[in-house]
Amino acid sequence: MKSSSIAILLSFVVTTQLIAETTAPLGTYTAVERRHWSFQPRQTPAVPTFTAPADKAWVKNPIDAFVLARLKQEEMAPAPEADRRTLIRRASFALLGLPPTPEEIRAFETDKSPNAWEKVVERYLASPQYGERWAQHWLDVVRYSETDGFEYDTHRNGAWRFRDYVVRSLNEDKPYDRFVMEQLAGDEMDAKAEWLRVASGLQRMGPLRKNAGNQEVASSRSEVLTEMTNIVGAAFLGVTIGCARCHDHKFDAFRQSDYYRIQAYFAATHDKDIALASEAEQAAWKAKAKATEDEIKKIKASMKGKEGDELAAIEKQLEDATDSLPAPLPALYSVENDFKRATPIHLLERGEYTRPKDKVGARPLGVLLPDGAPERETLPENPRTKLAEWVVAPENPLTARVMANRIWHWYLGRGIVATTNDFGKMGLRPTNPELLDWMANQFIAGGWKLKPMHRLLLNSSTWKQSYNSPAFEANMAKDPENKYLWHASRRRLEAEEMRDSMLAVAGRLNLKMGGPSIMVPVDKELTNLLYKPSQWAIAADKSEHDRRSVYLIAKRNLRLPMMDAFDAPDMQISCARRESSTHAPQALELTNGEFASAMADAFAARLTKEAGADPKRITERAWQLATGRSPNAKELALAAQYLSGNRPLREFALAVLNLNSFAYVE
Amino acid sequence: MKEHSRPTRNRREFVADAFCGFGALALASLDAQAAVKNPLAPKPPHIPAKAKSVIFLFMAGGPSQVETFDPKPLLNKLDGQKRPAEFGEAKYQFVAPNATLLGTKRTFKKYGKSGIEVSDLFPHLSTVVDDLAVLRGCHGDMVVHSAAQYQLMTGRILPGFPNMGSWVTYGLGSESNSLPAYCVLPDPKGALEAGQPMYMQGFLPAVYQPTMLRSGAKPVLNLDLPQGITSSQRKETLDFLRGLNEAGMKPGDSEMEARIASYDLAFRMQTEAPEAFDISKETEETKALYGIGKKETDDYGRRCLLARRLVERGVRFTCVVSGGGPGNMQWDAHGDIEENHLRMAMHTDQPVTALLKDLKRRGLLDTTLVLWGGEFGRSPESQGNKGRDHHNLGFTMWMAGGGIKGGQVVGNTDAIGLRAIERPMHFRDIHTTVLNQLGLTQDALSYLHLGRRERLTEVHGEVIKEIV
Repeated sequence: MKSSSIAILLSFVVTTQLIAETTAPLGTYTAVERRHWSFQPRQTPAVPTFTAPADKAWVKNPIDAFVLARLKQEEMAPAPEADRRTLIRRASFALLGLPPTPEEIRAFETDKSPNAWEKVVERYLASPQYGERWAQHWLDVVRYSETDGFEYDTHRNGAWRFRDYVVRSLNEDKPYDRFVMEQLAGDEMDAKAEWLRVASGLQRMGPLRKNAGNQEVASSRSEVLTEMTNIVGAAFLGVTIGCARCHDHKFDAFRQSDYYRIQAYFAATHDKDIALASEAEQAAWKAKAKATEDEIKKIKASMKGKEGDELAAIEKQLEDATDSLPAPLPALYSVENDFKRATPIHLLERGEYTRPKDKVGARPLGVLLPDGAPERETLPENPRTKLAEWVVAPENPLTARVMANRIWHWYLGRGIVATTNDFGKMGLRPTNPELLDWMANQFIAGGWKLKPMHRLLLNSSTWKQSYNSPAFEANMAKDPENKYLWHASRRRLEAEEMRDSMLAVAGRLNLKMGGPSIMVPVDKELTNLLYKPSQWAIAADKSEHDRRSVYLIAKRNLRLPMMDAFDAPDMQISCARRESSTHAPQALELTNGEFASAMADAFAARLTKEAGADPKRITERAWQLATGRSPNAKELALAAQYLSGNRPLREFALAVLNLNSFAYVE
Repeated sequence: MKEHSRPTRNRREFVADAFCGFGALALASLDAQAAVKNPLAPKPPHIPAKAKSVIFLFMAGGPSQVETFDPKPLLNKLDGQKRPAEFGEAKYQFVAPNATLLGTKRTFKKYGKSGIEVSDLFPHLSTVVDDLAVLRGCHGDMVVHSAAQYQLMTGRILPGFPNMGSWVTYGLGSESNSLPAYCVLPDPKGALEAGQPMYMQGFLPAVYQPTMLRSGAKPVLNLDLPQGITSSQRKETLDFLRGLNEAGMKPGDSEMEARIASYDLAFRMQTEAPEAFDISKETEETKALYGIGKKETDDYGRRCLLARRLVERGVRFTCVVSGGGPGNMQWDAHGDIEENHLRMAMHTDQPVTALLKDLKRRGLLDTTLVLWGGEFGRSPESQGNKGRDHHNLGFTMWMAGGGIKGGQVVGNTDAIGLRAIERPMHFRDIHTTVLNQLGLTQDALSYLHLGRRERLTEVHGEVIKEIV
């Protein structure tokens, strides 16, 4: 062998040794680990068939077949179909998050045509309010917020566009695989497409810690990368890879190296704010801001040597001056790759950025790859596109199942896998695995579109069951959580539905869509809890205060008391499943709160206008508007008695807005 | 759906030890019917309890250890010099690497039978020092306010996790049927860096959220009737509502019954809570004890007295915040440690002492754990030439009452107050000890969230055995 060849060989050996020393070994996975149900390829389960005429009549589509087969295994029978007014109210809340109007209900009840139900379904699916309602589901999952959180809770210029992006995507029934791609890699797909840039703002959706002083850049970067990585597991894959940041996952087949190999796809991802204003506008802004900026400089200089109250007063001046800067110009809140600033990704001992160990390259989750599948030693040109392509590949066993299961959860109140963000070993097993696979297959076959899935569900006998069942007591004892779907679950309205419905019933709802978020008046004591109370800038146009809740600002450090009371998520971490608690502050909010009071007044005025002074007519109208039904005899009698006492009608209206029949959907 | 309404949970289901785990187990065996009954009903502790309630005197901004409970003569000797290398490194938020040590102008004396040293910032507190367990070896992980406040309050350096008050309420329920179980009394001077999320229930159900008791005549949101509505009118409305809700439901529908019951509690809160917040009926002697009526102590004195009244009425966890608004209105003495700490101590020394004395003479101190401290301490180095920066490696907190053995000092920092070197106690150890006194254990007090069995302590804490 020539000496030069030896040198080359030697250099190769040396290099590989170096790599071997510094690169984390690829994870290995036992057969048992690989056999975990959600890592298995989807099956194509045979749709159960039935011979009994009653069963055949009940089964409207394969969903029903799977559900009925499961119910039979459990020796339960489905509940009868709910009446029309119950169905339309249920559908209206499920799809629009709003109550149906009495006129809609009557029209449906009296519609003799064979496709009466389909007409309702199609009308709701075509309604722009559909996207608003379903956007909230997704915004929960990606912990959407328009502020940084932590001490400054800085407002993110243009962050609201992400909410509009989600609403639009849902309304145009964008395929889910595309939706995922855009959020992970929109900027890589087409840097010039405004909405794609907005979509990949997802990477910046998490809370962000900023501090003055000796900023530890590496620490901040590590936190930012953690947020980007964890959401991939929680939102798209439905697995708790975040647990593997500090150590190998204790229960699932995710090694710490798997976690950082996912993180490596984000190594070059950096914040990017894209100005939408013209250069002239930007120059004008700068000119306008200059005086204030000079003032700020002066104030800062004057702080030197000051102390105590005097210093506090100057700090206040500084804050006022900062607040008087002109409003920021329109911008997109996005990300882009900057390979020159790519962060070398290492395993971090106990997740601490100060303790880097072996380095890693990008690779999807090892347990879903063949043994020894290599990592990428260098970042590809479009790293997040590569990650997204793996996430939405039809062979990925998780993505379609996770989303099909979410849809199921948002309809039935409980996923086929009840732990919607955790398809790992510690999550619950699917109650009906064949149904889940069938749903996931159907989802992909239908082009990953949501609306065909909605139609399937809305037209199923499963979803149309009533809450009451002839075997209610026995079934409740057997399956109190309705795991096997022997009846329709009842649910309390979510915080946004509650507020929006009160506005709708009171006749005040402003259905204007999109645009910058709104801040509504709140108690001064609440804004005083902000580090910078002046951040809360109330919309000047009062009609804006009556817009749907999805358009109210999603501010991490100030949530409306009503949202807090009714279990709206805190936007700090992904929320897959809302709590539904019942407690006294809710009652106080709905009886004494300023919003409830305003709604009671407005509702009373509406009743007077629409039903005059006759107690019976008032009662009928109030019940139709708020509960979607007529009052029963007992309720009528109570109302007649109450109204005969010359009591304020707004108190009557308030009581109606507090009815269980208003606050719950069956 | 059970996991939608998990506020109550069978104690036997609290089996887990691990972070990521046992979700399915617990979730699968929940009783949906039990879950909808009053989630705040008192619950038995996991182990025998010594305390029923906690009052956390939160000294926001970070009081200095070397000006309060941790005398360091060497620091005065080294005043103006650079930190000797043997003390090791420390990372500060602002202090430059070439900063020099700053001696203290405070003088320390031994007090009480225990002879615990306290600085002249606390002439009142020094009279009850035998009740205090002074923890000199405290440390945390973060040197900036927001993250350190989250860690102190929730055990995590990020927002989104439940405050210890929410955890405790979740674990033990409420002893009061007309007051919220967990109250925060913020400083009216303004908000803190970590903002509202540090007090919140995080992923726990909203029933465990704090009630913010505001200053002024109307401490609780929504307790007042709308203008123009009399209380008899409202009573009729609520009776009407109850009748309607009963008319519209099946008998034995526990979820609906729970909702009806929540209106009853709300009404009781409305009628009875104002009495709890009204300190005017306290004796002049008591008011004077807390320094109410004196400019310097009026605000914190009122809030400490209110805390005692809440504890008396069964409130589980009360956080009384000292400091708010711009840094110097907190214990955040970057500019001038003298000016800042003299002022902050003046506001709080007498009220805090009065609280301990008052609880004691009413027989409440035995069952009320009082915790004092901030999110960190302060740097032995000077910032500017008179201030001190944040410092998380060694600082002092103290506990009293609730079964805590007072009259002792536990742990110590090195000779300049830089680092906890003797018996270091992390926030997680503080948390574990607080839970322990209430009869709760960190593993049993857990909650399934996103596939992880979360608890107050991220890494296992240890009970501070010396003081319990």
